[in-house]
Amino acid sequence: MDLSLTPAQEMLKGAVRQFVDQEYPKETLLEISAGMNPSMHDSWQKLADTGWLGIVIPEEFGGEGGSLTDAGVLFEELGRGPVPGPHLSSGVLSALIVLEIGSSQQKSEWLPRLANGTDLLIPAITESDYGWYEDDVTANLTSSGEGWMLNGKKAYVFNGSSATHFLCTVKSPESNHVGLVRVAAESPGVNIRSLEGFAWDMAEVTFSDVDVTQSDVLGGDLNSGWGALERAIIKTIPVLSSYQTGGCQAVYEISVGYSRTRIQFGTPIGRFQRVQDHIINLVNQLDAARWTSNEAIWKLDSGREPFDSVHLAKAVSSEAYLQACDHAHEVHAGVASMTEYGLTLHTTASRTLYTYLGDPRFHRHRLAEALGL
Amino acid sequence: MDFEPRYTQEQEDFRAEVQEWLDINVPHGIEHPADSADLTLEQYQLRRNLGYKLGDIGWLWPTAPVEYGGGGLSVDYSVVLEEEIDKYGLSLPPYYDSGGRLGGNSIMVWGTEEQKMNFLPPILKGEVRTWQLLSEPEAGSDLANVKTTAIKDGDDYIINGQKVYVGSSHGCDYMWTITCTDSEAPRHQNLGWFMIPYDTPGITVLPMDLLSSAGESGAGSGVKNVVYFDNVRVPGFNLIGGENEGWKVATTHLELEHGTGGRIARNWLVDRVFDYCKENNRRGRPLSQDQDVKDRLIDIYIDAEVGRLFQLRNYWMRHSKVNTTYEGPQASYQRKTSGLRMAHAILDIMGPAALTKDPELGAGEGYFEAHQRAAIIALHPGGTTDIQKVIMARRIGIGREVREQAGALA
Repeated sequence: MDLSLTPAQEMLKGAVRQFVDQEYPKETLLEISAGMNPSMHDSWQKLADTGWLGIVIPEEFGGEGGSLTDAGVLFEELGRGPVPGPHLSSGVLSALIVLEIGSSQQKSEWLPRLANGTDLLIPAITESDYGWYEDDVTANLTSSGEGWMLNGKKAYVFNGSSATHFLCTVKSPESNHVGLVRVAAESPGVNIRSLEGFAWDMAEVTFSDVDVTQSDVLGGDLNSGWGALERAIIKTIPVLSSYQTGGCQAVYEISVGYSRTRIQFGTPIGRFQRVQDHIINLVNQLDAARWTSNEAIWKLDSGREPFDSVHLAKAVSSEAYLQACDHAHEVHAGVASMTEYGLTLHTTASRTLYTYLGDPRFHRHRLAEALGL
Repeated sequence: MDFEPRYTQEQEDFRAEVQEWLDINVPHGIEHPADSADLTLEQYQLRRNLGYKLGDIGWLWPTAPVEYGGGGLSVDYSVVLEEEIDKYGLSLPPYYDSGGRLGGNSIMVWGTEEQKMNFLPPILKGEVRTWQLLSEPEAGSDLANVKTTAIKDGDDYIINGQKVYVGSSHGCDYMWTITCTDSEAPRHQNLGWFMIPYDTPGITVLPMDLLSSAGESGAGSGVKNVVYFDNVRVPGFNLIGGENEGWKVATTHLELEHGTGGRIARNWLVDRVFDYCKENNRRGRPLSQDQDVKDRLIDIYIDAEVGRLFQLRNYWMRHSKVNTTYEGPQASYQRKTSGLRMAHAILDIMGPAALTKDPELGAGEGYFEAHQRAAIIALHPGGTTDIQKVIMARRIGIGREVREQAGALA
């Protein structure tokens, strides 16, 4: 048993922290959150230049060839920002999907472009009922000359406005199963509508008679996409949970710091046990997120049966990040409501990620299945 | 990161040796009553006999230093031992020995060499069982307010006072006791810890009638007691850490009691509840297929998993000598509060069957009824949930420039 990071992982952690401090200071994060596309900011190009977008992509495809533990270390630090953008959706989830089911040609052509950030391949999975099951997919393909024509509407597509390409789940024309196709965001018939509000970078993406070539069908097979997608999601989830853990960590540090400096009734407010209760609840959430995520990643990296731990990690860390922010708001009161203070960056992220790749209720159901209930 | 102990060939050989030894030496007929208050003298003696044998070969306290009678084993070997004895539903030691665990460690840190040589080998070899005596009617959460006095008289001390929530059924050999050694001295500079032989004249032990004795159920604590000291004469040699120096000793004791030691054993409760729900029907189908029941089972599971991971982390931190701050009381807080939430969930799932130990209508042969009681009472031993939070806040340094340090561990 050894719950520590390797020296190389500690170095990575330090390097990412330094990068985030330098390239994503609060001013930058606020600038992006005020309405900028995160992948259009100068800092995004610097992030791409580090090679970290390819952390899980094998070296032969231009990536770093890292383990999921390495990815967890990276994303926990990005979560501290919280650094926005399609790093997880394109760099991890889509890359893993392509690795799962892509043909050798697709892998060698697409993956290097994901690793260096040239392409931002965004999974477009859910539709208006926000279901994460195979039979929730209604987008469909019809035969069209040598290839296919795609019609359908994808909703709540996380990072949708950053996409150069979408990785779209579609109902197979041949069976009740689902396939995956790649569609360039600039293709005729693709319409991206940003969903404004209390969420990060969500979009509705409508596909109207969009041409899809057979070479953009993942693995050339329209019947086995869902299995590949689920396998990739299972691996991505604990990395996402690590990001949420990093968010909790930042929110915790901000709150402890504030408890030391905010004076009311002539004393730092942290002296009040009511305030302490909020911070203790917060740190309990933080550590629950951290250790469930770590154990899930370890199971995946060491080839163990991961399902119970993965669903546990997403249920726990989604709840943890959301509640950590709630507690932080209780500690800060009015100050935290001011955009310029920066806490709402996390509050918004915590809500968005709560639902991304399935909310706690969904994962509790999957956990029950994994436990044989 | 690696969440599982790695076993070398040497460890696997050790496991085979342990399995063979336990197979021969764990006495037949060991039973685990649903409520540890029902642990019979005969059952206690079976456990003590096993303790002697374990102590003889250094496996009772496997990681304690050899020179004091421990096993001197690394954590990698103690893990094997704990895993193997857990298969018998037992832990190390296989009987309630709070004073051995907490007092022994405190003596290891604060005792003189002579005291260590005198007190530790009997504990570590299983020759004596030791209770811890902390709470008093006027001193619970505020432990430093103890009123039991120890007044110097020649080379001895004379002890007077009353302790509550003490020990177990079937007596002990030593009482690891915090006292006030100077009523006039300032708070925290007026305390002293003693190892008091059980048979010293002037000691009266009376059982308490409690809803549950809770705590350490695996080790079978049994009933708790009131202990009265009436002019009890104890040699000065038995004062550990020095007169008026008891608070520093308490920091070590409390650090362990607050959960910093960690553990790796799994929680039997989850398996039991899941099995119950799979095996028992309501309206013609297993409880476990009811969506409401499933939701509550998952509540229980998640709480138990988070608790397991906190304990696992603490176990690793302790044995890897990683500095801890708030992690001990955090694990304790999680254990206590989640235990109560789980009891609530179990009551939701099972209804009144969880509230009776009736052999016909009670759920789980009385285990759930005992758990319903124990979950409530477990909120206070070793520090209330509020005290756990107070310690966490100090260790985190909320509202403070300087964070409190964790107590020293051996």
